[in-house]
Amino acid sequence: MTDSALATNPAPVAAAAAVAPKLIVRDLNFYYGGFQALKSISMDIPEKQVTAIIGPSGCGKSTLLRIFNRIYAIYPKQEAKGSIELDGENVLDPGYSLNRLRSKVGMVFQKPVPFPMTIFENVAYGIRHHEKLSKADMEGRVEQAMRSAALWDEVKDKLKQNALGLSGGQQQRLCIARAIALRPEVLLLDEPTSALDPIATSRIEQLVEELKSQFTIVIVTHNMQQAARVSDLTAFMYLGELIEFDQTEKIFTKPGKKQTEDYITGRFG
Amino acid sequence: MSALYLRRRITNAVAMSLSMLATLVGLAFLAWILWETLRQGIGALDLKLFTKVTAYGEDGGLLNSMVGSLIINFIGIGLATPIGVLAGTWLAEYANRTRLGESIRFLNDILLSAPSIVMGLFVYTIIVLPSTTLTHGSTTFSGFAGGVALALIALPVIVRTTDEMLRLVPSTLREAALSLGVPQWKLTLQILIRAARSGIITGVLLALARISGETAPLLFTAFGNNYMAFNPMDKMSSLPQIIYQYANDPGDAMHALAWAGAFVVTMFVLLLSLASRLILSRNKVSHD
Repeated sequence: MTDSALATNPAPVAAAAAVAPKLIVRDLNFYYGGFQALKSISMDIPEKQVTAIIGPSGCGKSTLLRIFNRIYAIYPKQEAKGSIELDGENVLDPGYSLNRLRSKVGMVFQKPVPFPMTIFENVAYGIRHHEKLSKADMEGRVEQAMRSAALWDEVKDKLKQNALGLSGGQQQRLCIARAIALRPEVLLLDEPTSALDPIATSRIEQLVEELKSQFTIVIVTHNMQQAARVSDLTAFMYLGELIEFDQTEKIFTKPGKKQTEDYITGRFG
Repeated sequence: MSALYLRRRITNAVAMSLSMLATLVGLAFLAWILWETLRQGIGALDLKLFTKVTAYGEDGGLLNSMVGSLIINFIGIGLATPIGVLAGTWLAEYANRTRLGESIRFLNDILLSAPSIVMGLFVYTIIVLPSTTLTHGSTTFSGFAGGVALALIALPVIVRTTDEMLRLVPSTLREAALSLGVPQWKLTLQILIRAARSGIITGVLLALARISGETAPLLFTAFGNNYMAFNPMDKMSSLPQIIYQYANDPGDAMHALAWAGAFVVTMFVLLLSLASRLILSRNKVSHD
């Protein structure tokens, strides 16, 4: 961490894990028009671990997640300043192609959003944009992605059916399959279970556990128990600032900051 | 507590009866129109209505008018659909919330409510008159000119429905596709249009229903023709135009033919509306 970053962000947010960082966030500020939603965020997100971002509504956790793949850029008047290095390259640099960034950083959203096409096509669609594969290779890739997303056994006999006919939990796992089919390095999950029932939720959580051997996962969640269950590291955000970022166990047992303790013990938020 | 409950039940009953009454009034007129066209036209609803041309007068049928209507409507919807869908897509996906987009949306709404006779006169000026001059009078009024006039009426309907249907597609679907690295044009063509497909088709069918009953724009463009015409550069008959012409005739037999024509047009429009309803309800599952 540079001296200037330390000066603007005195919070202890340096690498909290022994693992090499995959994403290095430095002095990140974000603006919705005139409103500053993120204030000088710096954090190191370790490779092949699950990092959870928690905090009350409006604290900026989804905003932060949406910067990692620059999806915010589709809306006018939203601006990010600072840097996010992915394997040493600043992804916020306008010269970093969106196509390349989004093939490396996949995202799953709050609500399951299958495309209006068949189950198979939903997963094949993204692959086809980035790679030319033979029919057999494509089928293999799709199957592999669906297996990784723990969906294959449920849909293998109805791949040609419309994806909108699946249950909510299955649709969300389809969206995960769609994202991991591109073989990204980072997987962003934006409250992926908030629209699901408890059984579907536990399946997704189990899946996150399995996927972290292959991907660096960043998950935003409203649910503190979920963060405690699935993540290795937890970041607590409040009013656009990163208050504390440490090992999940430490955050939930002996947090370093009063605000974190108040939040996880339910005194506010 | 029970007084409040009673009052609510009474309010509910009154509101419900008024709504039902209003519905019944609307439906009664529709039934009346259908019944009246059928009753008055039944005498002429026979095989020769569909096999003979209008040249035979009261001994003839409306075959050339039906064929003419089909050709003119086909030209109209064929011209308006691609332009309308593309324009609506541009409005919803590329110009949404921009000043230019809002201005064009507003102008389109004005076009939507422009009197149809104006469209007829406009096309008369830009197509019929020049083609008369250019061909030294061998091509004057034409089915094509009629189709263009109808296209101008269908166009704003299609632009409006495409625009609205696309804006109904949740923005999360756009984000999901863009997050895979897919560019905007692929997202629009392969995902958004598909998601809004049934709504857009419904809009096209409703536009078709709208133009198949139009008379005024055809009077100065397709003009009319007592014989069968397949060439769109010829004068062409159409059902609304022949209804107008026969209704002005003093003969009872001609009136019956006009009523029969009216019945055919009304049924056609009714079936189109039903078809569009069917398409919409069959695809209802798409958005929960």
